[in-house]
Amino acid sequence: MSEHNEQQEEKNNKTRIYKFLRVLFHPRDFLGILSEDRYKSLKIRIVLLDAVLSLLPLFIVVTISYFWFQQILKDDFKNQLKWELENTKQSIEFFLEERLSILRFITSTYTYEQLSDQRTLFDIFTKFKREFPGLADIGVIDANGIQRTYSGPYRLAGADYSNQTWFNEIVVRSSNLSDVFMGFRKIPHFAIAVKREVPDKGTFWILRATIDMKILQKYASAVNIREDDDVFIINREGVLQTPSRFHGNVLEQYKENFSFREDNISIKEAGQSEGTCDICGYAPIKNSPWVLVAVIRSSPYAKIPNIFRNELLFITIISIFFSIAVTIALVQTVVNRIKKADQAREVAIAETEHASKMASIGRLAAGVAHEINNPLAIINEKAGLMKDILEGSRDLQQKREKFLSLIGGIFDSVNRCRTVTHRLLGFSRRMDISHDTIDINDALNEVIGFLEKEIIYRNIRLDLDLRKDIPKVVTDKGQVQQVFLNIINNAIDAVQEKGLIKISSYSKDEHFVRVSIKDNGSGIPRDKLKHIFEPFYTTKGKGTGLGLSISYGIVQRLGGSIHVESEINKGTNFFVDIPIRSETV
Amino acid sequence: MTEEIKADVLLVDDEEQFLKVLSQRMEGRGLKVDTSTSGEEALEKVKGKDFDAIVLDLAMPGMSGIETLKRIRSEHPDLQIIMLTGHGSVEKGVEAIKAGAVDFLEKPADMNKIMEKISEAKRKRVLLVEKKREAQVKEILQSKGW
Repeated sequence: MSEHNEQQEEKNNKTRIYKFLRVLFHPRDFLGILSEDRYKSLKIRIVLLDAVLSLLPLFIVVTISYFWFQQILKDDFKNQLKWELENTKQSIEFFLEERLSILRFITSTYTYEQLSDQRTLFDIFTKFKREFPGLADIGVIDANGIQRTYSGPYRLAGADYSNQTWFNEIVVRSSNLSDVFMGFRKIPHFAIAVKREVPDKGTFWILRATIDMKILQKYASAVNIREDDDVFIINREGVLQTPSRFHGNVLEQYKENFSFREDNISIKEAGQSEGTCDICGYAPIKNSPWVLVAVIRSSPYAKIPNIFRNELLFITIISIFFSIAVTIALVQTVVNRIKKADQAREVAIAETEHASKMASIGRLAAGVAHEINNPLAIINEKAGLMKDILEGSRDLQQKREKFLSLIGGIFDSVNRCRTVTHRLLGFSRRMDISHDTIDINDALNEVIGFLEKEIIYRNIRLDLDLRKDIPKVVTDKGQVQQVFLNIINNAIDAVQEKGLIKISSYSKDEHFVRVSIKDNGSGIPRDKLKHIFEPFYTTKGKGTGLGLSISYGIVQRLGGSIHVESEINKGTNFFVDIPIRSETV
Repeated sequence: MTEEIKADVLLVDDEEQFLKVLSQRMEGRGLKVDTSTSGEEALEKVKGKDFDAIVLDLAMPGMSGIETLKRIRSEHPDLQIIMLTGHGSVEKGVEAIKAGAVDFLEKPADMNKIMEKISEAKRKRVLLVEKKREAQVKEILQSKGW
């Protein structure tokens, strides 16, 4: 037994899971669930809409601010790099300027003859080296490019520089700074040369010092860099002047494409296509063939957003939860209010419908009172006359004929009253829902019977065209009559004195009998025409505005339809189609 | 039975049976009764003869009771008109009184009441006529200056 139960349960679970999956993967079924309860579905839709509306801007703002912040960090980093490069560049420029100044100072202090003395030159060399480290050697070269005196670790006195480019350059310029070259010790060096003119002899001589590149390298590595970054110096042709971490050693070619402005520091951001550096900085060093290069690959600016991202994510999630919670709470309240209002409205409509029924009964009652009071007056007078005669005369036999005629008159009047009350009873039956087989013409005639007096008193011409051959219909007589009463009442209100109301009935097709009620009144403007079946809409000033709305409801319930055609100043024509067999009664 | 009143009365109603019987009863009480079945006819009759009171039905086809009342009043302001109605609504009564009717009765009305109203109407009319005469006499006295 229990085994059976377990099996059953398992089966149930399977069906449940299957259903759940079905719902998940069939949006239409999902929507089907949504539409089960009108208010529930309204709630869900509002929440979804509101969530999209409120979260979309949130996401946009978050995304924008994320990228914006990243951009700021990047820009900030670039500025910092630029600043550092500027600093280093100035240091190097200062360093070079200083060396150049000393050489100029020496050339202007000593004569060629003095410096040609090996001892003087050695003296200067040692003092120079002591004050400014990095000096490798110093030499004096004459106008022919021959090194006359030399002080340093090598025996270079007498070396001929006349064919070298730097010598050719310095002939036209006053000083020269060479590219880095490997000295005899295989250590990278560079040379500074200063030309001294001897005006009275029309000749010149040159003081040339060689400086160890390590000194400059120290300046370059002073730039604050991270593990993946690289700072080095190249010359304008792209030959490395100091060793780099990733781009080869001294005198090797720098393989990346590069471009810069001569007068300023350029910070370049490489596109994705351009390989190795994310941000490259180029600082050309004034009065030298060198360019200070910084290659930043560690993207330090990308690291900070991690913190920022977490905060952003946290704020976003909190906002989402908060906004959805608030939305749900709000929607809950609002939809519940709507629900309550709807219920209240339904109750109110039912009440007003009832009130309207009462109003139409009141209108009927007034007509009925008139109908009954007239014959009653006759009865009253006839009975009174009989009394008068009885009181005035002793010979009753003679008055027999008179009495009989008076009594006949009383019976006639009583009959009149009876028809009225019978009609009224027939009419009031509409309170009960019934299923009668009726002749529409009879129903119409009964209604017209009630309104006849008003029609006559207002001198309205009533034109009846009721076809005898229309089939009998199965419907609720009372309800149908209320519809006719409402529409004919409206027609009476619409027409002027001596107006015309035409009522006709005929078979529309094999399913419907049509009743047309046409007046030649003021007509209904087009903009108002679409509202006339709405509850509480009235153009009459008096009235509840419910007559036509109730009529519309009744005819719909009976499976028929009402429509209206109207032309200003020509009149209005209502068409009521009543099904020969009502589907729902 | 009430005391006999000598008065000329005009009955106006669209119900001929009602007119016939009511006029018989009134005649039985010594009144001189004339009848008409419509407002138009009543207007004609008023032109030819001075009535002490007119009993007028409110709801009639053609010219309505109120309309008839207004037209008679405009031509003969001192005629005493009593309205009679089957509608039994206060609204119509107020409208009629405003339009100049002296009284308002509901159908079916008690004969004695009708007679009372008629005699009252006649008294008023006599008074009116006397006043008029007095005024005329005064006028003559003043204008002639004997």
